[in-house]
Amino acid sequence: MTGRVRPDGRAKVTGSGRYTADLSVSGMLHGAFRFAGVPHARITRIDTSAARALPGVFAVITAADVGTERHGLFVQDRTLFAHDVIRWEGEVIAAVAARTPDLARRAAALIEVDVEHLPCVFDLEAALEAGSPLVHEDWESYGAGDEVIRDRNEATRCSIVKGDAAAAMDGAAIVVSSRYVADGSQPTPMEPRAILAEWNGPEVTIHSSTQVPFAARGHVAAALGLAESNVRVIVPLLGGGFGGKCEPHFEPQVAALARAAGRPVRLVFNRHEEFIAPDHRRERMVLHYETGVSANGEFVARRARLIIENGAYSADQPAAVQMAAHFAVGPYRVPNIEVWSHLVYTNTQPTGSVRAPAAPTVCWGLEQHLDEVAAAVGLDPVELRRRNIVREGDLGATSQVYDRIGAAEALERAAELIGYGRQLPDDEAIGVACAFWPMFPMASGAYVKLNGDGSGTIVTGAQENGSGAVMAMPVLVGQILGMNPESFSLVYQDTSAAPFDAGSAGSQTMFNNGRAVVAAATEIAEQLRALAADVLEAAPEDLELVGGAVRVKGTPTRSVPIVELAGIAQGGSLLLGRGSGDPPPVPECDASGCVGRLGVESFAAPTFSTHAVRVKVDRDTGVVRVLEVAAVQESGHIVDPDGAIGQVRGGVVMGIGQAISEGMVDGSDGTRRNAHLLDYKLQTAADAPVIHCDFVDIPAENAGPFGAKGVGEPCTVPTPGAVANAIARVLGKRVHLLPATPERVWAAANEVAMIEPNGASR
Amino acid sequence: MSATFVAPATLDEVLVAIAAGAVPLAGGTDLVVGHRQGKRPLPDAVVAIDRVAALKGITTGDTTLTIGAFTSHDEAVHDDGIRALFSAIADASAIVGSEATRSTGTLGGNLMNASPAADTVGPLLCHDAVAVLRSTIGERRVTIMDLLVGPGRTSAEPGELLTAIEIPQPLASTGSAYVRLEYRRHMEIAVVGATALLTLAADGTISAARISITALAPTIRRVPEAEAALIGRLPDRAAADEAGRLAAAASSPISDVRGSADYRRAMAAVITRRAILAAAARAAGSPVASPASDSTFGAQS
Repeated sequence: MTGRVRPDGRAKVTGSGRYTADLSVSGMLHGAFRFAGVPHARITRIDTSAARALPGVFAVITAADVGTERHGLFVQDRTLFAHDVIRWEGEVIAAVAARTPDLARRAAALIEVDVEHLPCVFDLEAALEAGSPLVHEDWESYGAGDEVIRDRNEATRCSIVKGDAAAAMDGAAIVVSSRYVADGSQPTPMEPRAILAEWNGPEVTIHSSTQVPFAARGHVAAALGLAESNVRVIVPLLGGGFGGKCEPHFEPQVAALARAAGRPVRLVFNRHEEFIAPDHRRERMVLHYETGVSANGEFVARRARLIIENGAYSADQPAAVQMAAHFAVGPYRVPNIEVWSHLVYTNTQPTGSVRAPAAPTVCWGLEQHLDEVAAAVGLDPVELRRRNIVREGDLGATSQVYDRIGAAEALERAAELIGYGRQLPDDEAIGVACAFWPMFPMASGAYVKLNGDGSGTIVTGAQENGSGAVMAMPVLVGQILGMNPESFSLVYQDTSAAPFDAGSAGSQTMFNNGRAVVAAATEIAEQLRALAADVLEAAPEDLELVGGAVRVKGTPTRSVPIVELAGIAQGGSLLLGRGSGDPPPVPECDASGCVGRLGVESFAAPTFSTHAVRVKVDRDTGVVRVLEVAAVQESGHIVDPDGAIGQVRGGVVMGIGQAISEGMVDGSDGTRRNAHLLDYKLQTAADAPVIHCDFVDIPAENAGPFGAKGVGEPCTVPTPGAVANAIARVLGKRVHLLPATPERVWAAANEVAMIEPNGASR
Repeated sequence: MSATFVAPATLDEVLVAIAAGAVPLAGGTDLVVGHRQGKRPLPDAVVAIDRVAALKGITTGDTTLTIGAFTSHDEAVHDDGIRALFSAIADASAIVGSEATRSTGTLGGNLMNASPAADTVGPLLCHDAVAVLRSTIGERRVTIMDLLVGPGRTSAEPGELLTAIEIPQPLASTGSAYVRLEYRRHMEIAVVGATALLTLAADGTISAARISITALAPTIRRVPEAEAALIGRLPDRAAADEAGRLAAAASSPISDVRGSADYRRAMAAVITRRAILAAAARAAGSPVASPASDSTFGAQS
C-alpha cells in the first residue's frame, strides 16, 4: 500500500459526498413508477384519472404521452413505457410526479390497469420448444442488427466452429459430458438508482446514477427528439453499479415526466424496485459441455451448448452471448470446437451486462467440467490445466495468435500461494479455476491542464463507478509529468464538460481513457520542456521531468520547478493538453466458423486469471465457508497496485456470493420471491476470507497505458468455478446448480431429492 | 393526521404516553424498518424509552439476574455474568443482525417484537425468564411461555410496557447454548435455531433439561419430549441425536425461499443436537466459545 488517498475517498468515507438521491432543487417534485406486477399480459385499459385527481399530483404519463417507438442496442424490442403487451413483472406502465415520494407512490397505485393474461414461459429449455408461448409475437416488425439471428423465442444465437469436433470426439481416448444449471443473480449496487431531471427551456439537465453518461445523453435525445447539445448528463458520486447501471436507464422517462409536470422531478428507486426493474442482471443458464481428451490429458475437442436467459427484452445481452461461446472454450488449447450459444426470451426481468457479462457463469460450468475431465483421465486438476492452458504463440478459439501472455504463470502462482497439495482436514479442500476476459478498444478523451499555481486538473469523460479506475488517472499524469499524483484534481462525469468516453463498462476505463490521459499529459510535458528550454538554455530533448521539476538530464543541479514554469505559462500560452489515445487494433482471427458476429470474434488484449480457493463444508447442514483465496491476475502492467488489489478483493467476494449465496428465486407465477436484502444473500464483510492477491505484471502490446489491461471484471470470473470445485472435492460429489446454497449442498452430500422454491424438482 | 414523538426521562411519563396509545420505541431496529417493508403503518404516537434510566442495566442478585428492557444486545454480549452463567443469551445476543443492530437493538425489543425467529427468545424461555410488565395501573410478571401467544403477538395488555426481564440464577453444573443455522456470518435471520439448557448431576447424567426451537413453529416453543428423553442420560452424541430427532418431530416448518420444510426439519435435528452438546460441555466446565453457532460450525460430533 502506498498510502495515497483516493481523490473521492474522504467524501465517501465521511459521508460528506453527494449522490443523486441527496440532490434537491427548488420546486422539485418526486417521481414514482407504476410497475406491471404481472409477467405476461395484454393491456386492455389504462385509466389514470384517479391518480391525476389526487391533490398534489402534477403529472401522470404513459406510453400514450411519449410514443411507442422501439429502441434497443442490438434488437429494437423496447418501448419507454409498456405498450400493448406486458412481458415481465417489472415493466414500467406509467410515471407519476407529485409533491412527496409517498404521494407519488400512492398515486401510482391508483392507476387502473386492466389486462388479459397471456400464457407465460419462464423455463429456458421450454422456451425453445416448438409449442412454447412467444414472448414477442410480432418481432418481425422490430429493427435489429444484421448479425442478430432471430428464431421464435431465440433472440440470437452465436457459434464458434473450428476443425471437426465430431470426428475428433470419435478419436478421443476419453469423452466427458456435463450439464450444469445456473440461477440468475443481481448486481446489487449499494446505491439504488436515482434520476433528477430539470428543464430550462429546450434544455434538460439530468443528474443520474448511470455508469454510461454519454449513452444516457444519446438515449434521452433520441427518445425525446432533442439535439444532444440540449441534453446534459451529470453523475454525482456513484454508489456502485457492477454493470447494472450500464446502458441507458429510465432517464428519458423521468425527463418526460419533468417536462409534463413543468417542474424538476427526482425519482429514487427503493431496494425492491432496484431488484426487479432494471434491465440488467446476471442470466440463468443451462450449460452442456463435452470434451474429448487424449490419454495424456490434452484436449482434442470441445462441444458445448449454452442456453442463456435473455429475459423479456434484449438490452446488451446479444454481445455477451457471443463472448459466452469463447468462455465455453476457455483459456486453453482446443484444436476442434463446436460451440453454440442461444439467447432465449422468457417472461422474466431482462438480463444484461453485470461485471464480466456471462463469463463467471460459463466459466463456473466449464471449470467444473474440467475437474470431471481430470478425474476421468486420472490427472490432478491443476496438472490437467497446466497441460492445456494457452501460452505465447498458441491459437485461440478463432485462431487469433496469443502474443506474450501470463496465463500459465497465473496458474502456477495461484497454486503456490494457496499451498496447493498440502494436507487439509477432511471437511476442507482447495479448488482451482482459470479464466480469461477481453478488452474493448474504444474512443475515449481527456484534457489535462496545469494551473498557474502548479496544481493540475484532469478533465475526463470517464465514469467512476467506484472501481477506482478514474481515481488512478492522477497516478498516470504524475508519472508523465514527474509530479505528485495528489497535485491533480478531477473534473469528471459531466457530458458538457468533458470529451466522450464509453463509460464504466467492460473494464475499459484504464485501458482506453488511460491512453487518452497519457496523451494529454504528454502534450503538457512537451509544453513544459519548451518553456524550461528557454529558462535553462538547453535543448528540450535534453530535459527530463522529475520530482516536480524540469532538469537537464545528467545535470540535476540545472533545473527549474514546474510551479515556476506554470507561473510563466499563466501569463502566456497556458499549459493545456488534450488526448484521445488511438484505440489499438483487435487481433486478426478466422471468423469463418462464427455465426452471430456481433464484434467479439477475437479477444483484444485478453487478461488471464487463476483463483485457488480453500473451503470448509459443514456436511450436516450444507453450509460452505470460504476460508482462503489466492487470486492471481495477468492484467498487463498494473498502474495502481492499491486500486487493483481493491478491485480483486471485491471481485472475489462478489464471485463467492454468486457461488454459494446469491441466487434470484422466482415463484411459479413469475414473480420474484427474494427481491430484498434479507433473502437475497450478499456476502458480508464477516464472510470475506483471507485473499492473497498477486499480479503477473507483463506489459501488453496493443493495450492501455504502459501496457495496462483492465482488472475490474476479470477478477470475478474464476471465483465461482473455483469454489464449486473445492466443494466437490470435499463432498466427492458435485452440486450441479448455481449457487451452491446450503440446502443444495446438503441435498447433494446426503443424496436427498429436493424441491426448489419454485416447485421444480432437482 | 398529526404524528407525535415524545422522549420522556421518567418511566411514569412513558407509561402515561403508552396508556394514551403511544407505541414504545426502543432500539429502533423494527418499528420504522417494518413500516418501510410494508408490514405495518407507522403509529401516530411514538414514545422513545431510551432516556429512562430505570429501564437500563444488568443487575446480578443472589437468586435473580435482572436485565433492563432497554439493554442492548451488545451490552448483554459483554456482560461477564451473562457470558458465564446464561451463555445461551450471550450466544444469541452476539448474532442478532449486524454490529450496528446489536449496538442499538435491545433485548426488550427483541422479546416484545414476538417474531418466531427472534434469537434471544429461545434462550430466555429455557432460562425460565419472566417478563416484568408495567402500566400506570400496576405491575405484573408473566412467563415467557405465557407472553408469546402468536407470531408478532404477546399477551401484554394495551398500556403495558416491558420494563425488565428477570431470570433465576441457574443451579450449579448448568450450561446453556443457542445455535442457529447460518447461511452467512452477519445480517442473518434464523431459519432454524435451537436452545439447550442442561444441568448435570454429580455422576455426569442430565438432571434437568430445557430444549426450545426457534423459527420452526408459529411461536418459539419448548420441546418437552426432547427434554424428557434427556433426563437421566449422559449427554453424549446418542442422547443428543435422539433429542434432536424429537425436536425435529415437534417442529412444523414451512417451505419458502429460505428453505424447504424437509430441509428445515432435518436441520432442526442437527442444530438441536449441536446446542445440546455445547450446553453439556459448558455444564461440565469445558469452554465452548460464544457464539456457539460459530464454534459448532462443521462439528462432526
